[in-house]
Amino acid sequence: MTGFGDRILGLGLMVLAVAYGWVAQQWPEPFGGAETVGPETFPTILAVVLVAGGIYLMIKPDPDAQWPLGKSALELVVSLLVLVVYAMLLEPLGFVISTTLAVGALSWRMGANPRSAFVTGLISAVVVFVLFNYGLSLNLPAGLLEVH
Amino acid sequence: METLGFLMEGFAVALTPYNLMFALLGAFAGTLIGCMPGLGPANGVAILIPLAFTLGLPPETAMILLTSVYAGAMYGGRISSILLNIPGDEPAMMTCLDGYPMARKGRAADALAISAIASFSGGLIGTVGLIMLAPVLAKFALSFGPAEYFALFLLAFATLGGITGKNPMKTVIAATLGIMISTVGIDISTGTQRYTFGVLELYEGIDFILAIVGLFAISELLFFVESRMGHGREKVSVGKLTLSFRELVTTIPTQLRGGVLGFISGVLPGAGASLGSFISYTLEKQVLGKKGKFGEGDIRGVVAPEAGNNGASSGALVPMLTLGVPGSGTTAVLLAMLISLNITPGPLMFTQNADIVWGVIAALLIGNVLLLLLNIPLVGVFVRLLSVPPMYLLPIVTMVAFVGIYSISNSTFDLYFMVAFGVAGYFLRKLEIPVVPIILGLLLGPEMEKNLGHALVLSDGDWSILWASTLAKSFWLVAGLSLALPYLVGPLLRRRMNAAMKESPVSD
Repeated sequence: MTGFGDRILGLGLMVLAVAYGWVAQQWPEPFGGAETVGPETFPTILAVVLVAGGIYLMIKPDPDAQWPLGKSALELVVSLLVLVVYAMLLEPLGFVISTTLAVGALSWRMGANPRSAFVTGLISAVVVFVLFNYGLSLNLPAGLLEVH
Repeated sequence: METLGFLMEGFAVALTPYNLMFALLGAFAGTLIGCMPGLGPANGVAILIPLAFTLGLPPETAMILLTSVYAGAMYGGRISSILLNIPGDEPAMMTCLDGYPMARKGRAADALAISAIASFSGGLIGTVGLIMLAPVLAKFALSFGPAEYFALFLLAFATLGGITGKNPMKTVIAATLGIMISTVGIDISTGTQRYTFGVLELYEGIDFILAIVGLFAISELLFFVESRMGHGREKVSVGKLTLSFRELVTTIPTQLRGGVLGFISGVLPGAGASLGSFISYTLEKQVLGKKGKFGEGDIRGVVAPEAGNNGASSGALVPMLTLGVPGSGTTAVLLAMLISLNITPGPLMFTQNADIVWGVIAALLIGNVLLLLLNIPLVGVFVRLLSVPPMYLLPIVTMVAFVGIYSISNSTFDLYFMVAFGVAGYFLRKLEIPVVPIILGLLLGPEMEKNLGHALVLSDGDWSILWASTLAKSFWLVAGLSLALPYLVGPLLRRRMNAAMKESPVSD
């Protein structure tokens, strides 16, 4: 079936719109009675527009995009994991170590050879750390490398 | 004359050594970003916004930095078009047509030099146009009431897809999603908590800087991972400059026409720089007819689109500065910066924040001169940087985005949010839902709701006030037309742009 992507998106948008609009109707009436424009007025309009958009996409979907399959989908997931793990380790490991690992891993997965990837990571991490910490006096987490 | 006085004050702001330094930095960084294939002005400004924040720059300096990046990226776009036949962004597409053939004939240096000059004159014409038009428009906009503003915002969304856009319904959906995100947080007028689900971090709403960096920078990284075009490019030799003074003089009419046309298409909502460079190129082809050798490396084929796209980039600042309604992705990002600096863009800005507005305008003029001075002697540096493989560059750019976001709040919560926006951006872009209207919706949503509220209070709840005045009516009409036009003339225009690309003998 063509237009599968858009149809799913349309359905998803409709579900989102209905949930969004429904939540808006649950808010208590603001103090002082019902005004013309309450907190729920604008969200309600938006929900209606989005439902219309979702229906349109389901009726008239565009041709499907090329979705990554197999290996490149895996690479995408790996890169995303690198980003999430980077955010997790930034504070405990400190900026230099976590950045070296993150930039290195990303470059490597993009096709650089591992050694030059991690060297690039280390150099860029140190340069940015020095620049931010000493040049701009912003504190990046030092983590394990903290001098006590 | 009043304008001239303001402009002088603007120069006084822009010419302080501190601001000048940031203008130079921005111009350099912008050119760098612009010449990287895949990174355009919107990404560039998005990546540097967090940095401008963490540095705690004063508002005028921050804006000067970012507008210089914007102008610089427009300049830089031509470098990869000419040397690699890869446009850095959409507006640079037309420059490939004659720029690359020129480079192939061994005239790369000439193409780079003349395109820098054309960029300069385009930028200059655009900025002069901005100086003349903006104050007038700002004065006119002072008469807008809330209903007119509401209609104007609708107009901005409707035209954002541009007449070359593919599916206007997707623009509508994107804008609605953006506005929906903007309703998260505590409602200003009633204090009701909306969509916070009790999460403390959501009380103040979702920071659009996170959304911008995620949607632009992180999703770009994911696209790159998917396509893996990751290998270094062959070095292109630039050769000697053989451009003669006579040749330069013959291109002056082309520069003027290109700059003016570009400026006009920049001001018009929805047209933007891509159309600017396209129509200046097409016009030049028609004016010169058989006399030109377009598509085979005609020097005027480089001049026209470059003058056009740089004229358009200044033109796009007119609606952004005067109405608070950006006409393009990059100006939307600049608007985000203004709002975060607690400056309400729009007609009042010209009176309340005159130093910022005129400082930015003066900085644009100075930036164009700096860019010309930078681009002619330093072109070798930028060319060398082109050969840095993106597989090293993109991870570093992503890391800089992380650092910038982290330094704003020192909280990793924001980083997860940014990555989530990146993933959303990837899927939306895959499904051809444009991300710029999302940003714009996020930015303009609160203003839109406020104006809707005010209008309805004024009319005692009568909704027809939204289309009561002639001005509001015409905004609605243009908005409607903008949504309908892509269905009518969009396919035709797109076909012609593609045909122009295909006519070029070396567009392989």
